[in-house]
Amino acid sequence: MAGEVPPAPAALAAAYGRWRHYSWADRFAVVAAAEAARQAQLPVPEPEAWRPELGVFFGGSTGGMAEGEDFYRRRREGRHAPLRLLGSHQLNCPGDAVARLFGAGGPVRTFSSACASGALAIGAALDALRGGEIEIAVAGGSDALCQLTYSGFNSLRAVDAAPCRPFRADRAGLSLGEGAGVLVLESRARAEQRGVRALAELAGAGASCDSHHMTAPHPRGEGAAAAVERALADARLAAGAIDFVNAHGTGTPHNDAAEWHAIRQVFDERATCIPVTSTKGSVGHLLGSSGAIEAVATVQCLLAGQVHPTPGDTGPDDSIGVDLVTGGPRPLDHAAVAGGDDRLSAVSTSFGFGGANAALVFSTAARGPS
Amino acid sequence: MIDLSTIVVSGLGTVSAVGCGRRSFEAACRDSSCHWTPVEPDGLHRVQGSRLAGLTEGLDLSPWLSPVAARRMSRPSRMAVASAKMALEDAALDGAPLDATALDDVAGDAPTAVVVSNAHGPTSLIEGILGQYYGQSPLAVSPALFTESVANAPAAQVAITCRARGSNNTIIQREAGPLIALAHGATEIVLGRAGRALVLTVDELTPLLHAVLDRFGALARREPDGSELARPFDRRRSGYMAAEGAAAVVLEPEPAARARGARVLARLRSVTSAFDPRAPRNGVCDRPGRLARVLGRFLEASGLAPGDVDAVVSVASGAFALDRLEARVLKRVWGGRPLPPVLVPKAVVGEHGGALLAGLTLAAGGAAFGPTPGFSEVDPALGVVPHDGAELAPERLLVTGLATGGAAAWAIVERGDAP
Repeated sequence: MAGEVPPAPAALAAAYGRWRHYSWADRFAVVAAAEAARQAQLPVPEPEAWRPELGVFFGGSTGGMAEGEDFYRRRREGRHAPLRLLGSHQLNCPGDAVARLFGAGGPVRTFSSACASGALAIGAALDALRGGEIEIAVAGGSDALCQLTYSGFNSLRAVDAAPCRPFRADRAGLSLGEGAGVLVLESRARAEQRGVRALAELAGAGASCDSHHMTAPHPRGEGAAAAVERALADARLAAGAIDFVNAHGTGTPHNDAAEWHAIRQVFDERATCIPVTSTKGSVGHLLGSSGAIEAVATVQCLLAGQVHPTPGDTGPDDSIGVDLVTGGPRPLDHAAVAGGDDRLSAVSTSFGFGGANAALVFSTAARGPS
Repeated sequence: MIDLSTIVVSGLGTVSAVGCGRRSFEAACRDSSCHWTPVEPDGLHRVQGSRLAGLTEGLDLSPWLSPVAARRMSRPSRMAVASAKMALEDAALDGAPLDATALDDVAGDAPTAVVVSNAHGPTSLIEGILGQYYGQSPLAVSPALFTESVANAPAAQVAITCRARGSNNTIIQREAGPLIALAHGATEIVLGRAGRALVLTVDELTPLLHAVLDRFGALARREPDGSELARPFDRRRSGYMAAEGAAAVVLEPEPAARARGARVLARLRSVTSAFDPRAPRNGVCDRPGRLARVLGRFLEASGLAPGDVDAVVSVASGAFALDRLEARVLKRVWGGRPLPPVLVPKAVVGEHGGALLAGLTLAAGGAAFGPTPGFSEVDPALGVVPHDGAELAPERLLVTGLATGGAAAWAIVERGDAP
């Protein structure tokens, strides 16, 4: 059981001249990027256009692996194995495809740190914007399911045969998914100048490494907590300003337990009453693009003023004290912050194989003068 | 452009076909001595007839990696960890874990970041998994292979081994990856998120990957006399020599390096990157104008004129189109002026053998570079003659990183301490 993306309608495929040359991951990337760009009123330019002010930062972990598997299988079976199946094999291909689509002339970088890839890419985009390297960034992630992913996670006994149940007592593993999430990032001043509505503010990013084990998280969530604390410091926000957490929340016994320790460490007394949700409960674990799609979900929650629920109706794990949002969307009541503004803020966390940790802080768009 | 002028390279470690460690790489560059060995045939028909590569099999990594640790790692992870430990030794930082401070001390923590550049990923493990899947059954896939098959496994293993708890990033951007990784690691320090950074490049070459690269026409063609050579900028160039290996550098603020009494091997000054969207997915655009404009502006923003560059450490490798683009971009920026000496470390160790990181560090450290292996006939269409072995004492280097697919990066690196 997995969250597979259905085949694209013919009209969608026809909108992209290079569609048949794209891998699945490339296709997810360009479609998501085009949607984000439309919202941001950033048109797909003419073919010879070049935008040095635009950079692309993408995360992914499989690239064109599904097509590469087809090549490998055909060779093994003694059949013709066309090289075009490997044309988009490398992990940088989805990000490069987006860069080509938008005529990017600024930095183009692909990050592949397993499940933290998309969030790390978004963090890198934030750095590039703040540093003045670029004026606008297309940042996100894209991953496509493949046999290697299915069989690999099964070999780890990490996959639940039923839909995943993050933070619940009967959680038994993750659910795989595929897809892409993309944000268009620019300064508020630039967006206002272009007459574009800011959906949210990317206030900060933080990263760390557990330095502990290739697959198991640090049992006390130390690395995860460090990533969140660094993101809060980067955003110049206290933990008390955070209104909800979009957790990594895979639904595996150890990951969720470790994340609970991290939440306790960061939020202290508020740990049991800060709303927590997991987008993976709805769409599955999108691996290298999970941080990106969860960033999108976090922004959507802030816009709506409510936290999306984590599906499922089984009971909570009593050893994990998170205030899991279940049943229906929960309206956000802004946590009182002494001396702070009245914006809603959230943390989105992503923790990957090898202990790579990333956290992003989003806030509702500021009102008033630039 | 990122101003990195406070950051220095204080240690270098390498694993490549020419051996392990800075000294072996340095000797190979000085003596123009390559080490190409036959690749196991794969059965895939080869259009270039390439059969040689820069392989690391048989190298003894045990001084830096115990057998117990090594058995849990893929080959890229082993090379990455070994080169990282060499670099730390070179920087007099071996021994204690890099980040012993408590992680909850956010205000006081200055952890070590790890940034790895990689082009192809742990290919042997991916092939192994697919072999199990299709040859036996999906249930036969080994969890040990799977966990090491992720692209960031080398970065993770370096962090676990060296206890590095800063950000951990793996960057995949082909030939531009090493300089982008260098910039990323240095930026972590400049922004105060890390006290130092381990920046690595690592890649593994399997027979299947070698065969596929040959089929894509990327590799140096086997010549009638049986030789295969990277011929950077040469009229007869036909592709690069594929290789595997790793290079690791330690980056830290210069005051920190000085306080430890460490030798400064190179000083970073600035790095920039760009993209030309006209490049095809696996090729380059042959029009140099855009990238030349970016490079020209980069030099200007760094306070430099082309004449201030004493040597170029070039990304050239013998790849027909990439060498041509590199030549055209440099020529465009230099105008009618003669180019400075152009060093081509990939002519010695091949493509994806850690050449660029190691090459820039050695050049800045005053290492001698012999005549460029494989070059003998200038390509009149390019007009670039790579380094001929004359003595060099560059104060300031331009390091280039043009990539297939459109990405590009450049760095200005300045001389380190005398050897």
